[in-house]
Amino acid sequence: MTQRDANARTVGRRLTLTLVIFGGLTLAAILGAPLIGSTPISLTRVFDRSIPFADNTDAQIFFVARLPRTLAGALVGAMLASAGVVFQGLLRNPLATPFTLGVSAGAALGAMLAITFGWSLAWLGAPAAPLASFAGSLMAVAIVYALATARHHGLSTNVLLLAGVTMNAFFSALILFVQYFADFSETFRILRWLMGDLDISSYQPLVTALPLVAISFAVFAWLARPLNLLNLGADAAEARGLDVLRAQRAAFLSASLATGAAVSVGGPVGFVGIVVPHLVRLLVGADHRIVLPASALFGAAFLIGCDALARTVMSPLELPVGVITALIGGPFFLWLLVRRT
Amino acid sequence: MMATRHRRFLLSVFLVLLPWLVAGPPLRGQDHPRRIVSLIPAVTEMLFALGAGDRVVAVSSFDRYPPEVEKLQRVGALLDPDLERILSLRPDLVAIYGSQVDLRRQLDRAQVPVFVYSHAGLADVTTTLLQVGDRVGQRERARQLAGAIEAGLAETRQRVASRPRPRTLVVFGRESFTLRGIYASGGYGFIHDMVTAAGGDNIFGDVKREAVQATTELILARRPDVILELRADPLSLSDAKREVATWGQLGSVPAVRNSRVHIIQDARTVIPGPRVAEGVELIAGVLHGAR
Amino acid sequence: MLQAAEVTFGYTEAPVVRDVSLEVPAGGFVGIIGPNGSGKTTLLRLLAGTRKPQRGAIFLDGAPLGSIRRAEVARRMAVVPQETHLAFDYSVLEVVLMGRYPHLGAFEIEGPRDIELARTALAATGTGALEARDFTTLSGGEKQRVIIAAALAQISASERTAEQPAILLLDEPTAALDLKYQLETASLLRTLHHAHALSVVVSTHDLNFAASLCTTLVLLRGGQVLAAGPVTDVLTPARIRDLYGVDAEVTRHPRTGHLTVVALSACGPHEATE
Repeated sequence: MTQRDANARTVGRRLTLTLVIFGGLTLAAILGAPLIGSTPISLTRVFDRSIPFADNTDAQIFFVARLPRTLAGALVGAMLASAGVVFQGLLRNPLATPFTLGVSAGAALGAMLAITFGWSLAWLGAPAAPLASFAGSLMAVAIVYALATARHHGLSTNVLLLAGVTMNAFFSALILFVQYFADFSETFRILRWLMGDLDISSYQPLVTALPLVAISFAVFAWLARPLNLLNLGADAAEARGLDVLRAQRAAFLSASLATGAAVSVGGPVGFVGIVVPHLVRLLVGADHRIVLPASALFGAAFLIGCDALARTVMSPLELPVGVITALIGGPFFLWLLVRRT
Repeated sequence: MMATRHRRFLLSVFLVLLPWLVAGPPLRGQDHPRRIVSLIPAVTEMLFALGAGDRVVAVSSFDRYPPEVEKLQRVGALLDPDLERILSLRPDLVAIYGSQVDLRRQLDRAQVPVFVYSHAGLADVTTTLLQVGDRVGQRERARQLAGAIEAGLAETRQRVASRPRPRTLVVFGRESFTLRGIYASGGYGFIHDMVTAAGGDNIFGDVKREAVQATTELILARRPDVILELRADPLSLSDAKREVATWGQLGSVPAVRNSRVHIIQDARTVIPGPRVAEGVELIAGVLHGAR
Repeated sequence: MLQAAEVTFGYTEAPVVRDVSLEVPAGGFVGIIGPNGSGKTTLLRLLAGTRKPQRGAIFLDGAPLGSIRRAEVARRMAVVPQETHLAFDYSVLEVVLMGRYPHLGAFEIEGPRDIELARTALAATGTGALEARDFTTLSGGEKQRVIIAAALAQISASERTAEQPAILLLDEPTAALDLKYQLETASLLRTLHHAHALSVVVSTHDLNFAASLCTTLVLLRGGQVLAAGPVTDVLTPARIRDLYGVDAEVTRHPRTGHLTVVALSACGPHEATE
């Protein structure tokens, strides 16, 4: 097949192929990961209806411990990876991550305040840290957005970047300040939160996050083509008929929402938002209509895989999943750098 | 090769410094300290139990017992000791943690004597007690108190010896109202020793660490018969009920099924001090029923 | 046709373009000439509709530009910017296909017709062979021609008649090109202008390039129109002295038949007229 014929394959067909392959990978990860762990379980026992659920340890481990965790990995991985793609497209910079613009710093501050000062939503009977972290991320988004739209014409991505980096630094300073008031165990728990934790042990956080996921993904679907155009530059995109301000706004807000939701479920897991988009682009090209869904699917599979590794490599103890993604992401970056020069 | 006269010079310098290197800088009188600062709640309790409480001038920010400490000055704790305030009290003995190396260096430079406390197992409580007794000139009283503690522990051990040992999960930290970030006692450390002495079988006894991050899977797989949550700060009754109810997520765990999840808010169970025998008896009571 | 009626615009307090009026007749080839900082790029942005004038208005076939839907404008008018930097590795075909954006619905995928138009545009700019290459690996001249192809694809197959030819706006198209590509671009634009009946607006500081292609010139200085009209009327030594502060000779080249400007010497400050 010549190059010419290869390109004749329309986006539609490439998209279908990508969805099938990556979707298959993700499905395999979701089905396979609950079978992996420090405790050996037997699949037949898991689905053995004759044993009452409360007595069936294997089924308990499968449905209460591992399955929610796998699904959390899928959700967090998909959100962070696709948010990474959107931020990279918005800022026209392949080194942008979901955490570049201060969203995760705000989330971290929220979680830290909740942990250090022992905030509790006792009346709700719900843990405070996820809610506080989501509120923190929204606050960070609001500040960065306000700063970036202060001037009249539209949304300057340069100002966005500067505002985001500044917010990161500012929030980090606040985090250090709050940490000073934390005692030993609180500091320890904060540190562990920062490294990411997918052990949600119930489906509740997933159900709560679902509407946010749906909204973000719907907007991402619409954003795919505008992100392609934005690549040419704001003016060139505008001249091609794109409402650039609306697209940039939608990109920033939806990607920040996805990041905030992901961080409040599993903590700020690093490197997913940059390793996955790069790998995916190497495999499928630069067209966002394919890169976005592929990244979401691959991000899910990637994080599930990292979490499975985290759970088993030092069995019965566990490494935080963020450590695994960092150990993979660091060398990957190095390789990227060497490859480009 | 160095010239001969250089070698001779260096040798003489070394010889002059030798006594200093061996003995350390000279200290002030240390036999019976009269102004003691304690950064460790367990040591504070020991000092008071040995009758040296009137000599304590300042304690850590976490000290609560005995009630007399409420009137004393606070000088910080493990992470934030206030050197200035410590020195302003002109102490002649400061009890510090072994890990506070910077503080130790500063106190040495100020020529203030220190008592270095190492955090360890249950057996070391009496050892530390004897050392403190030595240091403040209450050797005999310390010996008596140590004997009483040992007797109390032996009594509890004997009481539970014939009982079956329930598989026990000992939690000393987690997020509120959720089962995330559970920190449990591993097979090392004084909490593990206490639970073992109280006749419990720590489900993480095989893990050679002080703290284990207990994931859902681990807890489900190891099926504890009893869950003990040790808390230092108090909890309202309704909150305590809710916290216990949070464990309902793990319905298959025997401790949850048989309603054997206990929140223990007693400082005696978390401070390796003179009341440790009472703490062990308290835990034994929870595990095996009262005497 | 495209018309600017006394437009004024500034990015901050100070206006960059002041009371500028100009007309791009149907099928015309207009050159906007001026030194750096005279507001050429800004004027082009105003004409394309990517910036809104603070005073005055732009009219496209009699209708104010602001009243026409963005996609509609994009189907009639395409801009070729001075430089295009892509952050990611799109292929040449993908870049040209992006020009079809105003013709497609929100979730519509390019069909065979769009791909055919894209290929035709590539062929028209002589870059058909580069279709599968990564855009970022092309030379400056090749990139420029691909972007022109993308612009062509953008304005192709619009509903247009002879009275409403599509409009191509180019911002300093030869600024970054070497001599050979300058000539090639010039001949390309000439061909496109004739064969595809396009109206073309070119902003440039290269007087000879403008003279060889344009029918009308607009001289811009300090954001205001110094002179506008047919090339022969406007491109005179006096005007050039006004605009650039340079003594120049304007002759008709025997071989090409175009007006040619040769700069002789810079004027001293007392010689430049106001």
